[in-house]
Amino acid sequence: MTKRFIKNATWAADGSQIDILLEGSSNMSDGLGGSMPVSGSISPTGQNAPPADAEIIDATNQFILPALVDMHAKVSQPGKSSSLAIKLASEAARQGGIGSMLVMPTKSHSFDNHADLDSFRDAVKEQSCIHMCPAGHISIGGKGEQQAPYDTLAARGVRILSDAEHSPSNLLMLQRAMRYIAELGLCMAIRGDVAALSHMGSMHHSETSYKLGLHGIPACAEEIGIETLIRLAKDTKAKLHIQTVSTAEGVRILQRAGDSVSAEVALHHLIFSHEDIADYDTSFKTQPPLRDKSDREALLAAIKEGSIDCIVSDHTPCAPFAKKQDFHTAPQGMLGLDTFLPAIYSKLIKTDKLSWAEVIRACSSRPAEILYGHEAHDFIRPLILFNPNVSRSIEASDLPSRCLNSPFLGAELLGEVSFL
Amino acid sequence: MKPIKDLLTIGALSDADILSILDNAIAMKEIFTKSVKKVPVLKGKSVLTLFYEPSTRTRSSFEVAADRLSADITTFSVSTSSVVKGESVQDTIDTLMSMKMDYIIVRHKNSGIPGIIAKHSKAAVINAGDGSHAHPSQAFLDAFTIREKFGEVAGKRIIIIGDILHSRVARSTSLILKRLGAEVAYMGPGPLVPPTAHTGITRFTNWEQAFAWQPDVLYMLRVQNERMDAPFFPAGDYHKAFGVTTERLERIAGENLVIMHPGPVNRGVELCDEAMDYSNSLINTQVENGIAARMSILYHLSPQTKNHD
Amino acid sequence: MVHIREQAIDQAMDDWASFIAQGAKQDPSTPIALVGLISHGDILAQRLIKRLAEQNCQARYGALDITLYRDDLSMQSIKPALRSTYLPFSTDGMKLILIDDVVYTGRTIRAALNAIFDYGRPAKVELHCLAERQGRELPIQPNFSAFRVTDEGADGVTVQLSEIDEQDSISY
Repeated sequence: MTKRFIKNATWAADGSQIDILLEGSSNMSDGLGGSMPVSGSISPTGQNAPPADAEIIDATNQFILPALVDMHAKVSQPGKSSSLAIKLASEAARQGGIGSMLVMPTKSHSFDNHADLDSFRDAVKEQSCIHMCPAGHISIGGKGEQQAPYDTLAARGVRILSDAEHSPSNLLMLQRAMRYIAELGLCMAIRGDVAALSHMGSMHHSETSYKLGLHGIPACAEEIGIETLIRLAKDTKAKLHIQTVSTAEGVRILQRAGDSVSAEVALHHLIFSHEDIADYDTSFKTQPPLRDKSDREALLAAIKEGSIDCIVSDHTPCAPFAKKQDFHTAPQGMLGLDTFLPAIYSKLIKTDKLSWAEVIRACSSRPAEILYGHEAHDFIRPLILFNPNVSRSIEASDLPSRCLNSPFLGAELLGEVSFL
Repeated sequence: MKPIKDLLTIGALSDADILSILDNAIAMKEIFTKSVKKVPVLKGKSVLTLFYEPSTRTRSSFEVAADRLSADITTFSVSTSSVVKGESVQDTIDTLMSMKMDYIIVRHKNSGIPGIIAKHSKAAVINAGDGSHAHPSQAFLDAFTIREKFGEVAGKRIIIIGDILHSRVARSTSLILKRLGAEVAYMGPGPLVPPTAHTGITRFTNWEQAFAWQPDVLYMLRVQNERMDAPFFPAGDYHKAFGVTTERLERIAGENLVIMHPGPVNRGVELCDEAMDYSNSLINTQVENGIAARMSILYHLSPQTKNHD
Repeated sequence: MVHIREQAIDQAMDDWASFIAQGAKQDPSTPIALVGLISHGDILAQRLIKRLAEQNCQARYGALDITLYRDDLSMQSIKPALRSTYLPFSTDGMKLILIDDVVYTGRTIRAALNAIFDYGRPAKVELHCLAERQGRELPIQPNFSAFRVTDEGADGVTVQLSEIDEQDSISY
């Protein structure tokens, strides 16, 4: 057993100075929740002397925090095998400080049957360097027509259901599905969206959409969707998690709904706005679209006061070719995992928009609770060391996802993550 | 003034570029009166017209302009049915690079495509209309026509009437007119007028307001049913509510207002039949000036094709 | 630096006008037009027409912008501003006298000849200039030049005319 003694670190959650003695090393987790061979003890700096056989690591001016938990990522990549995509996504997540994540179903990861779930779990076991759990489909193939076999999915450990970017438009199907899963204790994670209002658009309805001559997606398409989902969940007593809230009015709807509903915001909605699309930069085409600066401020405030529980990556790798097309044709989505914690630190913590404590709550404790319940084990959240003194201009080679749709390509980000 | 390779939007041009193109268009128009209506400016240069959207007017206007500058013109036919979504543009760019063209004139239904081609090409790329985004050559011919009619654009009031939302003409023409010091207003059915508070463009909702504003030019836009995915306004009401009707034409003639239209006109929708023969209509002048403006644009641009690789 | 001053230029203009008038007398049936090359040539043409009128010799006035006919346009990334060509008459059957300030390489004249033939078919074309400088690159010779300058200097020849410049002068 190797022993490591990390001294003079800053415990990010409260800023106190600590030393940590660790035994073992964390490099792998198994797919659906196995233990990580690390144990350790934390003490105020200087209280305990390092054991003679321990490797001493000086972590002065570095932060220690629990690894982040991401409730929303897609790992499949067009043209790449499922197992390679899992490997790349896990490396990207690790670089971003994420130790555990919920993987959305996609065409190539169709989590509506036990076979696909089993092969995904096997691939994660072999390829992934972080913990990944799948979100089951709400409907077969995510088509919104027929409910997926929820009992089968639950028996395979699935706790969250989602049709990823599709919000079921057949409300009768959805209502019955909610009623069914309420009794199984599952939770639905859905994005608010009224497709009839949004499907023509490719960006937020705004000055920029006028300038660029692109069809706009109105904010109300999402807000009506959120309102509808909340009403259905109340009616059916199903557990509901609203995905990627992006508007100020969406936040107000959540505030009215109270604690019965949990919600998340994608990191990019806290950092960017529609102006960043500039001259048709397809890396900034997302779903929901980047909104107004006023929405961004409302979302940050919602994280602070807790009406939005989590910050997620909404990681969506896109083939570089696909993003080179024109804005209307290019697919939606940006990379989030690869730069997750450095981006949070550089754009939100360093600029005093959020505190470390708020970030840890929104990116680690709350998502762990939603995903794994209150008994969330430490193995889900190993400790990570964050060195904010490393500055890096992000290049393609800095993106383990091996895709180019990162909003930070060419930008300067602070920080480097290592897992303890 | 810095040399510019492409004409993609009005916003990307300096004031000096705009004035230079407008000034030179005057001399270009004079060429039409010579016995030989050609000058050897682009002798030996190759011009490609690449239209993904059907258009007879703009395409032939560009072709006549290039022809009067003695360029060699190639027409690249893109049958829309064979265009596999998205893929074709990347593939076409590669093909175009191999053809070693000096000027590429592009029209596409998706906003931003000419910019993508320009980025990957040494040829000078002219945006002949992309989606609802921009139509800068139309803006130049409109500004040139108003300047020719009134002596100057500054201080003139132009109201653009119709489907603003889908109109690249409204976007580009309003931009250039405002840059030249004109006042611009929009009028159209609610769902077809986007939020423009940030642009400083006034919005009117009916003809009474429009007349009260005392405009110099009524710029009628084409109702583009082909761009509308679902109905935008009650069927059958457009002409009555927003068109130049016979009754309105009398008032327009009484106040000696100028009518412009980018063409082709939907008779009985934007304009009544009588308006087509209205003495103060500049619609045909716009067509003629389109050639001169486009010659001036071709003259102004600098392709980087000297060392093709 | 050599300077030819106002008085000498004025004298030369008189001689120039007489030369044109004499030519006109020899062929009275062919109407004459003085076509000045923009800019400077057009001003010289106007001055000459005034002097010719005093001698009862009628000549029409034209001005020609040869920019669109230049052979170096594709090498220029900033294109020169265009001026209006002014030829308010048919040139068919006329005697056209091209008026330029300085004839040097001959390239401008080549462009002017191409330009003028796009307007019609003149009976005859002559070339007159204020100053003729050595260094022809094309087989072109003026029929009349008021001054012959034999400079080897790097600064070339500068013509100023009081209508658009401060004064009348030729410097080389």
